[in-house]
Amino acid sequence: MSTPLLSIHNLHVSVADREVLRGIDLALPAGEVHAIMGPNGSGKSSLSHALAGKPGYAVTAGSVDYLGRDLLSLPPEQRARQGLFLGFQYPVEIPGVNNAYLLRAALNAARRARGQGEIDAFDFLGLVKERMALMKMDESFLSRGVNEGFSGGEKKRNEILQMLVLEPRVAVLDETDSGLDIDALKMVAGGINSVRSPERAILLVTHYQRLLDHVQPDRVHVLARGRIVKSGGPELARELEQRGYDWLLDEAA
Amino acid sequence: MNAMAKPVPGSMSNAAYEQRLRDAVMDAAPLLNARLLPVSVRSAALNKALAAGLPQLRDDLWRYADLRFLASAALAPAAAVKPEALAAAVTGLLPPKLAGYTRLVFGDGRLVDTLSDSCPELDAGAPPLVPDRTRHERFGWLNDAFATDVARLDVHGAQRLEVVFAATPGAARQAVHPRLELSAAANADVVLVERHVGTTGAQGLVNAAVQLNAGAGSRVRHLRWQALDEDAQLLDTVQLALDRDARYELTQLQLGARSARTSLRASLYGPGAQLALHGVAVATGRRTLDHSLLVDHLAPQTRSKQVFRAVARDATRIACRSRVEVGRTARGADSSQSLKGLIAGSGEIDLRPQLEILTDAVRASHGATTGSLDENMRFYLAARGLDPAITRALLEWAFLEDALRDLDLPELRSAAEHALARALGSDIAQQVLA
Repeated sequence: MSTPLLSIHNLHVSVADREVLRGIDLALPAGEVHAIMGPNGSGKSSLSHALAGKPGYAVTAGSVDYLGRDLLSLPPEQRARQGLFLGFQYPVEIPGVNNAYLLRAALNAARRARGQGEIDAFDFLGLVKERMALMKMDESFLSRGVNEGFSGGEKKRNEILQMLVLEPRVAVLDETDSGLDIDALKMVAGGINSVRSPERAILLVTHYQRLLDHVQPDRVHVLARGRIVKSGGPELARELEQRGYDWLLDEAA
Repeated sequence: MNAMAKPVPGSMSNAAYEQRLRDAVMDAAPLLNARLLPVSVRSAALNKALAAGLPQLRDDLWRYADLRFLASAALAPAAAVKPEALAAAVTGLLPPKLAGYTRLVFGDGRLVDTLSDSCPELDAGAPPLVPDRTRHERFGWLNDAFATDVARLDVHGAQRLEVVFAATPGAARQAVHPRLELSAAANADVVLVERHVGTTGAQGLVNAAVQLNAGAGSRVRHLRWQALDEDAQLLDTVQLALDRDARYELTQLQLGARSARTSLRASLYGPGAQLALHGVAVATGRRTLDHSLLVDHLAPQTRSKQVFRAVARDATRIACRSRVEVGRTARGADSSQSLKGLIAGSGEIDLRPQLEILTDAVRASHGATTGSLDENMRFYLAARGLDPAITRALLEWAFLEDALRDLDLPELRSAAEHALARALGSDIAQQVLA
C-alpha cells in the first residue's frame, strides 16, 4: 500500500463544548474510495466539516496528515487550494454570485497555489462546458447565482460539477446521495466514478448503502458515537443494509 | 438590531445659527441672481430657514444625521472665479462621459459651458420649480436662498441627460448649493444621471436640492450617484411629484462623503403613478449616511416599491427611516418596502420602515433586517479556496447588487456595478468585473 494521501490520527473534535468525534483513526491511500457510514448523529458530517476546517469545529486532540502536511494548521481556503474538496451535504445558496465566477475563482485559486497562471477564459469555458455535459447541466446554469433556486438534486449535481472542474487530490463527499432520485443518483455516481484515479482518493460519507451500489468502495468504515466501530470491505455495507446499525451500536456500547 | 449611539446634536445654539445665516446673506447677496430665483422667493425661503432653525435632538426625523459640522461650515456660496480657472479645477473630477448622454457640468454651483454639451432643454430663465417644503426639508430653503445657478430642464420626448455637480475646496471656505429642476412633459421618456463629485473640504458644505416633476404617462429613470470625497459634508433635499400613470425609477448610490443626509419626499398625486426607489449605501472609515424618505400615496391605484441595501464597515453609521403614507384618496394603492443592512466591523445600521394607511383595499408589505455576513456562505466560499477578504467583499457586493436588479439600462447597470465594486475595494473590482 502506498503512503496515504490523508491520515487521521486519534482525532477528537468538539462543537460548542460537546465532543462529536472521539478518537478517529483512518488512512486513505491514493487510488482508493472509502465509505464512512453510520446512523444520524454518529459524527459523519462532523468529520467532513473538521477536515474542511469549518469554524466552530475545535480539534481538542489528534492530528491529520495531508500530502505530508499538517492539515489542521491550515485555514479552510488553504486546504481547498491544496486539493482537498468538500462536497456539501447542504450546498449554500449565494444570490448575486454567479456559478461561472465561483468556478473560475476557485480554479484559479488552486492553480496559483500550484504555481500555475490563471486559466485562459476560452480554455475555462471549454473545460466547464465539457464537465457540464457530463452532469447533463444546461448552459444557462453558468450565469445563475450559486445554487440560487436550485432543486436539491441540482445542488448535488453542482457539487459534483465543481469537483470535476477542480480535480482535487482528496474529495470528501458529505451525503452527496441524500435527497436524490434514482436518475440523479446514477448521474452523481457517474461523476464520482469518472474522477477515480490512482493519484486521487475519495471519502464517501453516506447514511445509506444505495450509492455504494453504483460507486464500489475499497473500504467501508462504520462510525458510531464519534468513533469508528467497525471497518471492512464492500460487503460490510451490504450487511448494514440488511441488519441496520443497532447491532454495531450494541457492540460499541 | 444594533442600538445606535446617542445622537449628537449640533453643538451650536439656534441663536448662533441664525446669526451665521444672516451673515451668510450679507456675504452672498451680490452673488444671487434674481433671474434664477426671484428675490421674493429667496427671502421667503430664508425666513422659513430662520424660523425652522436647526433640527433639535428630540426631532425623530433628524436624530441620526451628523450635523456637527454646521457649527463651523460655510453656508454662503463663494464668489465666482474666472470660467477658465473653474473649468481647470473641475476637469480632473469628471468621470468618463456616458456615450449617448447630453452632459451638463456644474462646478461649485455654476454651469461650466466649456465642459458641457449644448442642451436646448436647459433654460435657467424658465419659471422656477420651487416646491413647498416642510421642516423635514429645511435645508432645501437654504438652497432656494443661496443657489447660484440651476440645471433647469424642460424635457419633451426621449432624452438622456447626465448632470455632474462637482465641488472644489476653492480659494476660500465655501458652500456649494447644487440645484436641479426637471420637468418631464406628458409621455416623455427621460434617463437622468445625476452625479455629485469632489468636495468643499472639512470647512465647507454641499447643499443640494432636486425637484422633479414627472408628467402624465412619462417615464423617468433617474440614477443619483453620490461619490463625494472622504471629507465632504452633504445635505440633500429631493422632491418628486408624479402625475397620472407616470413611472419613476430612482436608484441612489451613496458611496462617498464624511457625512451625508438625504431628505426625500415623493408625492404620487396622479392616479396609477408608479415609483420604484432603489437605494444603496456603503460606509467606510468614519462616514455617516442618513436617509429620511417619505412616499406619499395621494391618488387611487398608485404603486410604490422600495429596496434599500446598506453595508456599514469600520466605525460607520447608516440610518434609513422610510415612511409610506397611503392617504384617504389612494384606494387600491400598492406599496412594498424592503430595507436590509449588513454590518461589518463595529458599524451601526438603523433601519425603520413605517407605514400609515388611511383607506381601504390597499396592499402593503414592509420588512427590515440587519445582520452580519452569513457564516455558511463564508465557509462555502472558503471551502472553494477563495481568500477571506475577497469572500467578504464578494458577499457584500452581492448583497448590495440586489438593489440594482431592476436597473434595466445596461450602461447604467454596468457603471453602477463598477462603482459599487470600487467602493468595496479594488480587489473585488478586479475580481467581479474581470
